[in-house]
Amino acid sequence: MLSENDLKVLKAISEGDSDPQSIAKKLDMKVEAVRASADLLNEQGHVQVIKSVEEIFALTEEGKKYAQEGLPERNLLLAIGPGKPMADLKDPSVKISLGWLRKKGWAAIEAGVLKPTGDAPQGKDEEILESLLAGLKSSTVLDNNGLAALKSRGLITSSKTKSWNYKTTQTIGVASNIDIVNEVGPITSDMIKSGHWEDDAPYLTYKKEKFHIRRYDVTLAADKIYPGKKHPYQRLIDNMREIMLEMGFVEIKGQIVQSSFWNFDALFQPQDHPAREMQDTFYLDSQAEIPDFAKVKQMHECGGSVGSTGWGGCWRPEVARQEVLRTHTTGVTIKYLADHPRPPVKAFGIDRVYRREAIDTTHTPEFEQLEGIVMDENVTFCHLLGILKEFYAKMGFEEVRFRPGYFPYTEPSVEPEVFIDGLGWVELGGAGVFRKEVTAPFGIEHPVLAWGLGVSRVAMLKLGLKDLRLLYQSDIEWLRRTPVSIKL
Amino acid sequence: MPVVRLYYEDMERLIGASRETIMSRLAMMGADIGKRAEKDHVDVEFFPDRPDLYSAEGVARAMQGFLGIKTGLVEYAVEKGPVVLQVEESVKSVRPLIGCAIVRGLEFTSEAIESLMGLQEDLHWGLGRNRRKVAIGVHDISRVTPPFRYFGEDPGRKFVPLDFTEEMTMQEMLHKHPKGKDYGHILEGCERYPLIVDSLDQVLSFPPIINGDLTSVTEDTRDLFIDVTGTDPMVYKALNIVVTSLAERGGRVESVLVKRSEGDFLSPNLEPSLWEVHADEANKLIGFNLTGTELAECLQRMRFGAQAIGGDLVRVSAPAYRADIMHSWDIFEDAAKAFGYEKLKAELPRTVTVGRAHPAEVRKAEIREVMSGLGYLETMPFTLTNEKVHFEWMRRSADEAVARATHVLHPISELHTILRTSLLSCLLEILALNQHHPLPQRIFAVGDVVVDKKTRMHLATASIHSGASFSEIRSVIDAVLGELDISPEIIPSQDGALMPGRGADLVLDGRRIGCFGELHPLVLRAFGLEQPIVALELKWGEL
Repeated sequence: MLSENDLKVLKAISEGDSDPQSIAKKLDMKVEAVRASADLLNEQGHVQVIKSVEEIFALTEEGKKYAQEGLPERNLLLAIGPGKPMADLKDPSVKISLGWLRKKGWAAIEAGVLKPTGDAPQGKDEEILESLLAGLKSSTVLDNNGLAALKSRGLITSSKTKSWNYKTTQTIGVASNIDIVNEVGPITSDMIKSGHWEDDAPYLTYKKEKFHIRRYDVTLAADKIYPGKKHPYQRLIDNMREIMLEMGFVEIKGQIVQSSFWNFDALFQPQDHPAREMQDTFYLDSQAEIPDFAKVKQMHECGGSVGSTGWGGCWRPEVARQEVLRTHTTGVTIKYLADHPRPPVKAFGIDRVYRREAIDTTHTPEFEQLEGIVMDENVTFCHLLGILKEFYAKMGFEEVRFRPGYFPYTEPSVEPEVFIDGLGWVELGGAGVFRKEVTAPFGIEHPVLAWGLGVSRVAMLKLGLKDLRLLYQSDIEWLRRTPVSIKL
Repeated sequence: MPVVRLYYEDMERLIGASRETIMSRLAMMGADIGKRAEKDHVDVEFFPDRPDLYSAEGVARAMQGFLGIKTGLVEYAVEKGPVVLQVEESVKSVRPLIGCAIVRGLEFTSEAIESLMGLQEDLHWGLGRNRRKVAIGVHDISRVTPPFRYFGEDPGRKFVPLDFTEEMTMQEMLHKHPKGKDYGHILEGCERYPLIVDSLDQVLSFPPIINGDLTSVTEDTRDLFIDVTGTDPMVYKALNIVVTSLAERGGRVESVLVKRSEGDFLSPNLEPSLWEVHADEANKLIGFNLTGTELAECLQRMRFGAQAIGGDLVRVSAPAYRADIMHSWDIFEDAAKAFGYEKLKAELPRTVTVGRAHPAEVRKAEIREVMSGLGYLETMPFTLTNEKVHFEWMRRSADEAVARATHVLHPISELHTILRTSLLSCLLEILALNQHHPLPQRIFAVGDVVVDKKTRMHLATASIHSGASFSEIRSVIDAVLGELDISPEIIPSQDGALMPGRGADLVLDGRRIGCFGELHPLVLRAFGLEQPIVALELKWGEL
């Protein structure tokens, strides 16, 4: 019992078309449908189906290097000439080559001297590397032992592709003994409403005719589709936001363009501080309005009324008016505190900041920073350490330790380090208590505990990125393939 | 940050502790230890607030206290010497401040000279703002005859600068001597240049540029004259740091009488600064619980003079070489370091507050949900871009649009000269990078743009494939507007980025809040794109 489509496929095969792709193209059918017909034709003895799996090999990065430059053991062999004392071969990189050299029996150690044993002909593995570099890829033409050896050294990778080959079983004309019935592919709405469906048998009676319900090969893959989704980096940012919200922090935001006043002066950064120089900060050619600065000026020049010495010199409002792209989110934080000087305040923000840095794999001129502050009566540096421990633990960094640090606007300051398997202790962010010189001019009377960290650094650790640019200039394939279930 | 090279042998001798003990505690005193410890030395970064640690001697002095080997204030004796330096009026408009000192009886090893030179350079960077604020000169005093004179000299004056064999004028040095090229800009516009000479008119120093060759320091030098000049009282701190570090090497310090019209003084002044602090305040800040006596003990280990004087009051003498003690909290931080950060009890504060997400972030999350539902992938492009891509390629080069963008003054590359005023060009750049991947590709970004210096929030989407059509994007914009509950008027667009007759503007209350449609093929071509794209951009909020 064959449908019209099956017949068409059979016809195509009898005319010499032997693979599903070309038949699908010829008949304007889906490849999956052709394969399903061919399978049915096979079951009924009209067509012979030969499935084959071909293994295709390709060079890895390392393999490519060796294919071009020669295997390290070959190069070492060339390098030792008639022989070389082992004492000269202490470099750790030589160790691996040495192992292979001896394993292959190309050289031996005699009385502490590494000497070639014979003429070391080109091995199968080297032949394969050469042919792969030249473009040969199939297992049928390559030596199996050589392939296995290269694979174990991680120099080649393999992938399998399936292919199908069809032939008719009878050379005489087609259709002499073929029984044709109507067949149903897609189910229509009308069939659902008015058809008579048998419980288990594959037949449908519809408009007084009997149809065979086509069986599909459910094991076949269909076209790939990709869901729309959040960026993995945004997923990480949202995780961090959730942690902060859970811990009771209010989210704050601020302008990208800031006055030097809020970005630097309000944080007691002296006007000649190196971080304020043109080579580190993006300046604009414009001036901003700044608030009443008398107290800030006094604090910089002579320490105000908090018993500080201040920086001395003359604080100039025109320097404070210069606009910059915010170099950190702390300017936004101090402005928020100036507007909310009464305790308790717990606030955080995750936003983009700008540094005048050349782009490379670990630096981008803009990146996200997380910042959190707690201002309340009777909070202490020890509380800051407690918050940091809690925060990092929620981020999945269970082990945290604290080292003295230095930041211009906090005292005391601390650099937290987290323990990461395989990397050891990694510095992650900075923290401290805002100096009195920072808080007093804005009428903030209680200690402000503050910490911050580069979110893109965390992304590199959590997403295993080697190149930060991937976050911003994304490879769409990477976005498609990074699952939403990735552990962040 | 300045990197100080510490030779283990030198450090063991100076500190009196084993290499292992020193290395295990160094970081906890406040330092970044490089991962690469060498056989005989390690390079350590110290923070910019502690220039007194920029030499092996300074580190040893601090470490002795931190390890409890020698604690309390180091008293440096200053012998009153006969040498006089006269400051003349002519230099005061150029480089008014000078401090100087003599240190005798030194025995220089090559390591000691390396440490001294390194210290000088690091101080120029850390305190001196590259010599503008503070510049240091070190001289072999046996080659010259006091008294000395510091004055403003005619730039035509000739002498032999350090590392040269021939005389040249000071003016020439600014162009020919490597140091002149590096620092000459400091003297820009000055009619007279600062100079220090001896009684025979021989040149010691041309601050802040270069010393004379005559007084250069060698391993045979025993007695040093040190001058520190500049524009800020930090001059005296820098002098104290150099002098005390030499005293740690066994030098005897001798004062110089500096004569000037506003009053004479003896230099250096190594007297500590005096503070009175309360243990109670330290406890409130740090969260430990120390008595006055315990606080004093901690501070002594940081080489302060400290004495509990009843109640919780502690009298503190801060060493003359400390440049960072501005406020009592600076002293308390040192106490916490001495106590040990690792011994502080980390605990959560009891502050009770309720978390609240920012409305803009809530909105962004809603938009992401809608766009994901429509099958779009999120991207997060840079906010920095350039006029060429942003305006020219987008066929949006009207002067007004360009003028409303934020231009940075000193871009680091041609790629990043302005902040984006819209998102669409950023999406097109991403699509251009991804042409080797299967189509259709549908991407979106929701993020900040800056117009007239103000941050606004936009959404942009782009869909590229052979069948991309106006009706596709019309469906998307209707879905988005419906979900966000915005009902703008839709009118034909004049946007150069869109194909005429296939682009629309979104207008709300008389203002254009967005656009959508088929992109102009000339835009696509500018980005190197070869398939049709339909796109939309919508302004949905501002800060």
